[in-house]
Amino acid sequence: MKLLGSGIFKGMAVTLENFVRSYFDRDRKHHLFTKEYAWKSDAPADQLPARADTTVTTRSRNFPMLLHDGKGSEDPMASIRCVACQICERECPPQCIFIEKEYDANGKFVKRPVIFDIDISVCMSCQICVEVCPFDAIVMNSEFELSNNDRFNGLLVRRDALLKSNDYYHRIHPEEAQERDDRMAREKAEKEAKQAAADAAKKKAAELAAEKAAELAAAKPKVDPAAPTATPQ
Amino acid sequence: MIEQVAFYILSAVAVLGALLAVSRRNLVHGVFALLLFFAALSGLFVMLLADYVAAVQVLVYIGAVGILLLFTIMLTEHVTGDDLRRLGVRGWFWGLLLAVAVPAVLILPAVLNEKSAKAAPIVVAQGNPALANNATQANTVKALGKVLMEKYVVPLEVLALLLTAALIGAVAVAHAPEKDASGKDTPA
Amino acid sequence: MIDTLIHILALTAPVAMIFASLFAFTTWLERKILARIQNRIGPNYINIPFTKFRKTFGLLQPAADGFKMLVKEDIVPHGADRFLHLLAPILALVPAMMVLCLLPFDLPFANESMKRIHAAALDNAVLLFFGITSINTLAVFMAGWASRNKYSLLGGMRAVAQMVSYEIPLVLSAAVVIMAVGSLSAQKIVAAQSTHWFIFTPWGLAAFFIFFIASLAETNRSPFDLPEAESEIIAGYFTEYSGFKFALFFLGEYLSIFAINGLAVTLFFGGGNGPWVQAHPWLSCVWFLAKIFGLIFIIIWLRGTVPRLRVDQLMAFAWKFLMPLSILNLFVAAVALKVQQPWLTWPLCALVLYAAAHGLSRLQQKNVGPRTYQYAE
Repeated sequence: MKLLGSGIFKGMAVTLENFVRSYFDRDRKHHLFTKEYAWKSDAPADQLPARADTTVTTRSRNFPMLLHDGKGSEDPMASIRCVACQICERECPPQCIFIEKEYDANGKFVKRPVIFDIDISVCMSCQICVEVCPFDAIVMNSEFELSNNDRFNGLLVRRDALLKSNDYYHRIHPEEAQERDDRMAREKAEKEAKQAAADAAKKKAAELAAEKAAELAAAKPKVDPAAPTATPQ
Repeated sequence: MIEQVAFYILSAVAVLGALLAVSRRNLVHGVFALLLFFAALSGLFVMLLADYVAAVQVLVYIGAVGILLLFTIMLTEHVTGDDLRRLGVRGWFWGLLLAVAVPAVLILPAVLNEKSAKAAPIVVAQGNPALANNATQANTVKALGKVLMEKYVVPLEVLALLLTAALIGAVAVAHAPEKDASGKDTPA
Repeated sequence: MIDTLIHILALTAPVAMIFASLFAFTTWLERKILARIQNRIGPNYINIPFTKFRKTFGLLQPAADGFKMLVKEDIVPHGADRFLHLLAPILALVPAMMVLCLLPFDLPFANESMKRIHAAALDNAVLLFFGITSINTLAVFMAGWASRNKYSLLGGMRAVAQMVSYEIPLVLSAAVVIMAVGSLSAQKIVAAQSTHWFIFTPWGLAAFFIFFIASLAETNRSPFDLPEAESEIIAGYFTEYSGFKFALFFLGEYLSIFAINGLAVTLFFGGGNGPWVQAHPWLSCVWFLAKIFGLIFIIIWLRGTVPRLRVDQLMAFAWKFLMPLSILNLFVAAVALKVQQPWLTWPLCALVLYAAAHGLSRLQQKNVGPRTYQYAE
């Protein structure tokens, strides 16, 4: 028989242990989730670590960012993953995303966003955009120094500010990024294999049809010599 | 001097609260005005050196009755009272009659009995210095308990029985519908 | 006359100041303890203005918060009841301050005549305490109603239902002590515990448990923080409050926590009684505050541990568990006070109360089974 209220006391023992050990347990003391803030005045400006890279745990998720596959100083728009499908815009619960598609001179959709705005004063960090994106183009950032003097424009993040390289993503969320890359590679391989299989099947079918047509042509050449040779379909 | 000033302030607040309570169209405002009246009344009880009654007044009337009134009002429509029609002539007639009759019934015995007519609030506070000086020392609660448990024990028990019956009745009325065999609530 | 007024001022003003400054300290303490329970650090540095010194352990955090509250814009929702919206935070704060003066908090400089006019010496101090705390309920309702916001109103209604329900076990468990002492005066209750605190009696221990749980609900503390449940109704009754009005609510809430724990200390832990008080009377108020902070630590600890109750669980717990148990405890205490044999009363009382508590909890679990949903299937 369980003692009345023993569940609560058990839970309280767990929290008390956490409380006490966070002060005295050397192991736990150095693994508190909070990391010390890197003060600007404490270090010369050129030696400052990139904030989001080092001062935040890799489990931190703040606001969304857009990914591109470019390296170094390449034009990020050349390799942007977003194709302006607007799924995230439609799924966003607080409707903080605004997207406009890009068209070339002929009025043809070029599968890139010309405008991609996220209002981070509205965003509630739910990650639904990340969940629904079929192109792995939008993921969560962990940048936290977002204070701004301009309440409206300062908190409206534009496309170019949202664009971050895949390398940056690997730095801030290594495990998640690796997992995502692996999955993308796997899917790509699967797709290619499928494509190759389909191509092979197509080729085979074409060969088969050609053979059949050749057989047919060979079988009845006397009936109608003027008949055109069957084209393989 | 101070007692008199306090008495007049408290009385003014009480009258103001009572007037607001009946004149405000907004029911919630009316209840809060009524509670102001209760608070002033408990102040007057303190001036009568009935501190126990004052405490009970706050506990029961402001803490319980007021909350109950507010709860009931939240269950009704037209809380803000904007769309209520005005009282007709008949309403005014009966209302005034009641307004005169109830105080008359309450005051009449006191007027008839000269002894209690003299026991006005200020007279008690001023004319009884022994009581006034010993305000915090006098064990009024104990005396009250003795009276309730000895002289008035029968009325007290009858009242307790009545309240218990009311409590059980309220529970019976509000009781949830019986569950049927499948364990689901049957719609009320 | 003037003497009396000065005495009253000397008795009340320090109490208000001490507890108001302890409020700031308590918010800091709460954030620190909660942080450590969750393996975080909590507030740990605030710049001292105009200096580069910032290793203050976050002790200046309450000051910074207070300043922020003061300069924040005061927003009153469109269509709100402006007067009641203003009145509610004041009404929440004033009773909390008033009841603090009812605690038998012996200020070091108080002489005999001052002690005599101290409100704790009042013949019905405990009753007045419960009366004045019940005004708090009204303030909460007023805030909820005046904001003209459905979440505020829901929070207000929840608060009223909860506070009214938990007042009954609260008062009934305090009544045990009053019965043992035979007086409602806080000073006499403390005097009666000069040698033996009531927490060390079987009925006192049970009454303290009930009182403590009910006081958590009465002050809207976790796990009974339904009126301000962030995940359900934003911030409950003070959703629409900002700036200084919000600060007043916050202050009022913490002052009522001090007050109700002060009453718990008075009733069960012997008030300012403790070692060396006979030799150094000024230790009395130190002991009193230390005991209050001991209880507050438990409250914060509980907040870091237990999840929030559901509304029906909350009500069932008050009416079907705490209330019968506290009534039973009244009878148990009456018998134990007559018998006066510790070796007999301890096992007997413990057995009766535990059996009752066990039975009541079993009774509540009778209908618990797999949940059925009407619409969500």
